[in-house]
Amino acid sequence: MSALAQPLGAPAAPAKAPEPRRRLRPVEVTPSREQRRQRPRALAATIAVSGVFAILLAQLMLSIQLSEGAYRITAAEGQLVELSRSSQVLSENLARLESPQNLAAQAESLGMVVNSSSAYLRLADAAVLGTPVAASAQSGVLDGRASTVGNVLLVDVPLVVPAAAGEALGVAPTPSSPGPLASAEEPTGPEPLPAPITQ
Amino acid sequence: MTSDRRTRRRVAATVLVMVIIVSAFVVRLVDIQVVRAADLATEAEARRSIPQTLQGLRGDIVDRNGVALADSVYRYDITVSPRFVGDYTLVNSETGEREKHSVWDALTSIAELTDTDPLDLLERIETALEANPNSDHAYLVRRVPTDVFQQVRDLRVPWVYSERIASRTYPNGQVAGNLVGFLGTDGPQTGLELRLDECLSAVNGSSTFERGADGVRLPGSTVVHQEPIDGGTLHTTIDSDLQWFAQQKLEEQARAVGADWATAMVVSVRDGHIIAAADWPTVDPNDVNSTHPDNLGSRIFSWPYEPGSTMKSISIAAMLDAGVTTPGERIGVPARYDTINGWQIRDAWAHDGLKLTTAGILMNSSNVGTSLLGERLTFAQREQYFRDFGFGSPTAVSFLGEESGIVRPADSIDGHGAYMQLFGQSISVTSAQMAQAYQAIANGGVLQPLTLVTGCEREDEMTHLPETEGTRVISQQAANQTVQILESVVTEGFVGPQLTVPGYRVAAKTGTAEVPVNGVYTSERIVSVAGLAPAENPEFVVIVTLGKPDTMKVAAAAAPPFQQIMTQVLKTFRVAPSTQPPPRLPTTW
Repeated sequence: MSALAQPLGAPAAPAKAPEPRRRLRPVEVTPSREQRRQRPRALAATIAVSGVFAILLAQLMLSIQLSEGAYRITAAEGQLVELSRSSQVLSENLARLESPQNLAAQAESLGMVVNSSSAYLRLADAAVLGTPVAASAQSGVLDGRASTVGNVLLVDVPLVVPAAAGEALGVAPTPSSPGPLASAEEPTGPEPLPAPITQ
Repeated sequence: MTSDRRTRRRVAATVLVMVIIVSAFVVRLVDIQVVRAADLATEAEARRSIPQTLQGLRGDIVDRNGVALADSVYRYDITVSPRFVGDYTLVNSETGEREKHSVWDALTSIAELTDTDPLDLLERIETALEANPNSDHAYLVRRVPTDVFQQVRDLRVPWVYSERIASRTYPNGQVAGNLVGFLGTDGPQTGLELRLDECLSAVNGSSTFERGADGVRLPGSTVVHQEPIDGGTLHTTIDSDLQWFAQQKLEEQARAVGADWATAMVVSVRDGHIIAAADWPTVDPNDVNSTHPDNLGSRIFSWPYEPGSTMKSISIAAMLDAGVTTPGERIGVPARYDTINGWQIRDAWAHDGLKLTTAGILMNSSNVGTSLLGERLTFAQREQYFRDFGFGSPTAVSFLGEESGIVRPADSIDGHGAYMQLFGQSISVTSAQMAQAYQAIANGGVLQPLTLVTGCEREDEMTHLPETEGTRVISQQAANQTVQILESVVTEGFVGPQLTVPGYRVAAKTGTAEVPVNGVYTSERIVSVAGLAPAENPEFVVIVTLGKPDTMKVAAAAAPPFQQIMTQVLKTFRVAPSTQPPPRLPTTW
């Protein structure tokens, strides 16, 4: 290194030049407070970088959730449509079964009759109003005849008790006696309410 | 020096790179925004934005208790894409194995579910392909119910699709079928469905949504351009149970006596509400084709006829109101009454001179007596009373195809017809008008406009409200006296026992009218019973009419359904039984 080169060198060069001449010894460099404040801190860097990653991750999760949600909405909507279809089928069926001609035919096939002469009991003075007359087995509206008020929706609705089976009109068929299976199930019913404890 | 140059080179390189990058972006931008702009926009639009019709539902027609008489439901058209029809492979969801299915298999399964012929289905596909080899749409089965559609869909045939359509069902079948009307393929055809379509009809809306490549709707992308508006609920005054009962009893009797047609009406006295309006023959709106076109409407409103003696109640009530007679006035009723041109009016039974009171004239239904009393009213007065009672003009119901009937004007009526109309000949009325007139008598002389529809409910708002303003037709006293006389028809008349409802005081009048054909009265009859109960405080009017019965041409033919319907009405509405015995008016002297 010539002395001529020295002035041309970078400002850092003079520090380098005398080095070989000096004995190597540890130099304690104590950064000034200002320098220390300016130095990038590892903690800040970590926070910044992890913050960026956290944001990216959150965004990713959010969009995954969002698209997941969209699929779940689609699935739920599909289910809703399916359930409302079932509900429609059921309520449509209920409405036709509720029609008066069906109710009358079903009730009379079970042996029920109409009492055309109604009477009322007045509670105030226990007076009987009207003319009470016992209903006869023949006092049904249909009385074994087919309903004349048509409803094509009811063609495939069977009577609860087919006319042929209900032999005696006006007599309700006796309910089938509970078999051994029914009596065996009896104890498994809900537990009786505990007796009230009075003080 | 080298360092300086290096810096400059570095700057130049950076600028160059940036220029290249920016110009690349510019080129791309121009390419997208200008060169291919239109194509890309269209493609994007088509790919993302899916238009959708939001179907509004047609409103229900309900009875007074909210029971649906007409109900909107969905049906499904099973469609096919003919150009894709072919054998296909499906993964069996249970075994997980791939199974091959043939076209014939698929069509047989569909035909089985929809109760059609597989050959017919195949023909439909072939017809569509013949017409257009690239055909993408053809109907296989139309309007299948939801459960059938679900079964067809579960077959998972790849080239079978479905379309949902709004449809109409009438859960009660023929009950009130004549009033409700029905919907054809082109919309409402008759009855309330057509008359009040503006209330019932829905307005379809539209929306678009965007969807991804896999067909999933993008969240939050739905844009509703037009909300659908559902139709309003039409509230009627009909009680479906009573309507059924009336139809059942009416039809039984109409068939038993071989009538051509029959009507029965129940009207609430206080408000003029029609509780039941039964027509026979009638229509099942679910199955219109099995009914003759003549029977699709309601004869109650559209079938004027000469009512006969039920009109005498109106005439006598008018005379009592005008003050020209009293119920107890003694009248000598001769065997016949001469009018003009040597024409005569006779009674239904041959008799010499009778000593009847005014009450007795109505109770015995004497044409001669009614004509004698009628002399005391001018032609103009008679016409005015008939018109006040609502004859000669449609009722406030304004039913589809409602007729006015004919009340002949006082200035042009002949001297014979002017007397005949007092006992219901030479005048034509509808069943609805007659029920309305009896309502006025039962309601103390105040005629309430006949009401079938109480309103159209749309978003908690009621429109189409009926008129409720009553008009006084005759005095309270005249009305009460008429009711009392009509009670004697039940207590003393020969048809009386068949009109009695145990526990209640009933007032009624029978009518046996001759049916004119081409201006000549024939042996055909129209028989009717009109009445009200309980007589001391009338709540319901019932009127039963049988047209042209074959086996029983007297009013007694209409008595059983009248008695049965009246009994059922009093029971249904828990009307308090009568506690006082009916008055006994003197009928003879």
